[in-house]
Amino acid sequence: MKKILLACLIAGTAQAAEIPIEGTVQSRCLINTDVAGVYGNPNAYTLTTTPADGGVLPIVRYDVSLADAYKARITYPTAFSASPSLSDMVTWTGSVTVSEVSAVGMADYQTDSITYDQTREYDLTATGTTWFQVASTATYGGGGNKAFPGGTYRSVVVAECIAQ
Amino acid sequence: MYRAIVLFLLAFPALGHEMTPTYPKFKPSHVEGVFKAELEMFNKRKDVEFYEIGVFDADWNPVQFVSRYKVMRLDYLSHVRFDIYVSAMDVPVAEYVCSVSKLRENSDKKPMIATRICSKFKP
Repeated sequence: MKKILLACLIAGTAQAAEIPIEGTVQSRCLINTDVAGVYGNPNAYTLTTTPADGGVLPIVRYDVSLADAYKARITYPTAFSASPSLSDMVTWTGSVTVSEVSAVGMADYQTDSITYDQTREYDLTATGTTWFQVASTATYGGGGNKAFPGGTYRSVVVAECIAQ
Repeated sequence: MYRAIVLFLLAFPALGHEMTPTYPKFKPSHVEGVFKAELEMFNKRKDVEFYEIGVFDADWNPVQFVSRYKVMRLDYLSHVRFDIYVSAMDVPVAEYVCSVSKLRENSDKKPMIATRICSKFKP
């Protein structure tokens, strides 16, 4: 009886020891929206994500697990995706900057980046995490400093990760 | 300790969009003259439920393709595996397959960031 019990225990132990845990690591790019931006309204005719003016800068995080495989393309907005009816012109400005990096090899990302129109493009040459912050300012009235009508204003930053 | 972890998670909510593989390959499908590529997507964005798929050539012109859904619903923290089908004629010109987050105009979460991930076809 004791022998049978011992045999069962050994068999049970052997089975438990053979339960496999598998996983695969694939090359990938993960875009995280760490901070969704908010427009501050420092005066009647300006909406801005500048923190000093009550705004919040959107922050996008790129996690890349394969070097030299992806480009990051980030575009700041040039239109509202939602707003009250606007009869006058809105002037848009913006910028994209690297705010933080996780590896020494990413130190030159900002200087090595290229910019065209409202887009800044980065070669993601190292593995790890890079944080980008996007500034956006909208001024109403085409230089005439006209007050924005009351309501909710929303615009969209486009963050892309393109395999190369 | 647990409180610290919870506070950390609340302070840095996971809001991500991921598509793999980086370099999908076409292989023959069950239909003659049609090739398919297998992809996988993971939604870690709580503020996004729908993603649109597109196939493009090297100049970012759209390439015709078929998939079960071109706009697919993907709940928060869900994975989806999907196939795209391209005719043999279009296989040489198909360069990128992209997924882009669809933002709701009337969302009370007020998203300000649209994400787009593109994989590149390799022969």
